[in-house]
Amino acid sequence: MAEDLVLDTAIRDWVLIPLSVVMVLIGVLRYFVSKLMRSYQVPDAKIVKEGQVIVRARNLRSGANFIPSKAFRARRIYFSNEENGLLFVPKGQAQNAQAQMFSDPNMAMDMMKKNLSMIIPQTLTFAWVNFFFSGFVAAKIPFPLTQRFRSMLQNGIDLSTVDVSYVSSRSWYFLNLFGLRGLFSLILGEENAMDDTQRMMQMSGFGFDPTKSLSAEKDGLDIVQHEWALPKFEQRAEAVLRKLVS
Amino acid sequence: MVTKTEETQLNRLESQVEHGGGGAWDYLCLVRKLKVRRSDKVLKYGLSILNDPKKRSGLGAEEWTLYEQVAIAAMDCQCLDVAKDCINVLQKRFPESKRVGRLEGMLLEAKGSWAEAENAYASLLEDNPLDQVIHKRRVALAKAQGNLPGAIEFLNKYLEIFMADSDAWRELAEIYVSLQMYKQAAFCYEELILAQPTVPLYHLAYADVLYTLGGLENLQAAKKYYSSTVDLTGGKNTRALFGVCLCTSAITQLTKGRNKEDSPDLQSLATAALEKDYKQRASDKVSVLASALKSLKVSS
Repeated sequence: MAEDLVLDTAIRDWVLIPLSVVMVLIGVLRYFVSKLMRSYQVPDAKIVKEGQVIVRARNLRSGANFIPSKAFRARRIYFSNEENGLLFVPKGQAQNAQAQMFSDPNMAMDMMKKNLSMIIPQTLTFAWVNFFFSGFVAAKIPFPLTQRFRSMLQNGIDLSTVDVSYVSSRSWYFLNLFGLRGLFSLILGEENAMDDTQRMMQMSGFGFDPTKSLSAEKDGLDIVQHEWALPKFEQRAEAVLRKLVS
Repeated sequence: MVTKTEETQLNRLESQVEHGGGGAWDYLCLVRKLKVRRSDKVLKYGLSILNDPKKRSGLGAEEWTLYEQVAIAAMDCQCLDVAKDCINVLQKRFPESKRVGRLEGMLLEAKGSWAEAENAYASLLEDNPLDQVIHKRRVALAKAQGNLPGAIEFLNKYLEIFMADSDAWRELAEIYVSLQMYKQAAFCYEELILAQPTVPLYHLAYADVLYTLGGLENLQAAKKYYSSTVDLTGGKNTRALFGVCLCTSAITQLTKGRNKEDSPDLQSLATAALEKDYKQRASDKVSVLASALKSLKVSS
């Protein structure tokens, strides 16, 4: 078991604090750069319309029992008939997102911009941290932790004898990278705080195919059993009035 | 929709500002957020901020939002000079902006130069065909000129794309009702009920339309929707109670008493509820109510 390590105050002044400050500054810089590079995208009328169709079809499905059955049947046919229903997607027309991406260079360009603003500063800072501060023990957290945290807190130090509550500089970098979101939302305003984790999630959500949700909605609509809820309301109204009058 | 707590907060802020308690900016922000129409107040307090250079610069970038808000309020109050000044300031700061272009279109509209406003909106739409606000302005423009069929046409075009916009459906329904196109209005109200099945106002309006359409089937449906309104409002809606009575008597008239499926209780209960309500709140009108209800019963 290692004895208590004494950390030089110079480490605090020259590693810990500069690292955090640099991370914050890079985050702010990246925000402004991505703001400059952001291109205004004109939304496609077809995509907007598909989104609205889905909302309306979902409303129809959930509120079906509140309108007379004649009205419901008319709407169902309007949405899901096989000729020109709004939810009906012709077989060949269902283009997949991949093909769409290749056909539209703007889309690829946008993705590249997003990626660039994310990856370049990250690689640079990581290289910088690795070059200057590799193998540092930069901080000590004031409570003991179990061995499992070793890989999280002591990235870059391959010593099993160092107590887990010591934090290596590379781990400090990672902690900052993922933990500064709250600070950014304070500095840049609520909606501007886009941290990397969120961005990664967006990336994986790419390639989403609206035609799929259209046909899913159509299937859902096809199996809805219409049962008009209004006749029940007469009895309920009677009950309400009885209570009111008595 | 403005909730009750938000409304009380708004009113509290308003009276605070009115009595010189400060907080004008917060009030304006709240008005903007809730999208309520208090143009006279907005104009008064907004201008007092804008005319005070120290306060104005304290707002930072929000200054321009305030200019826009005051400009719209000024147009609503027909203070066209004030609106023009605001728009000029914005124009200087943001040349080529679509948002300022929209304001200019609205100013033309406020002046009553319909054709020019129409042209302005049309050119804005060419640049961005999916601008919802401009689509709606065009509807308002047509409506202001009394061109209701034109307004319907614009609304239908708008709803073809933005078909989940219930405010637009409501506007369309009201226009149809005013043109006595009840079948079309009924469709719009069905759409509204689908979007928000628990709002009693839509049930009530739909029932009104069905009752006006007439015919046994529609009358029975109307009665059901009046009852659902009664249920949703807890029996507090006088119009719905009258509707139930009217529908019942109309149905009995049509079926000549051969109506088996409806229980007669509902009408008598509705009558009783009406009588109780009138006694409590307008006791001098009870006799009028009694004679009105009697005429319904006599005809049945």
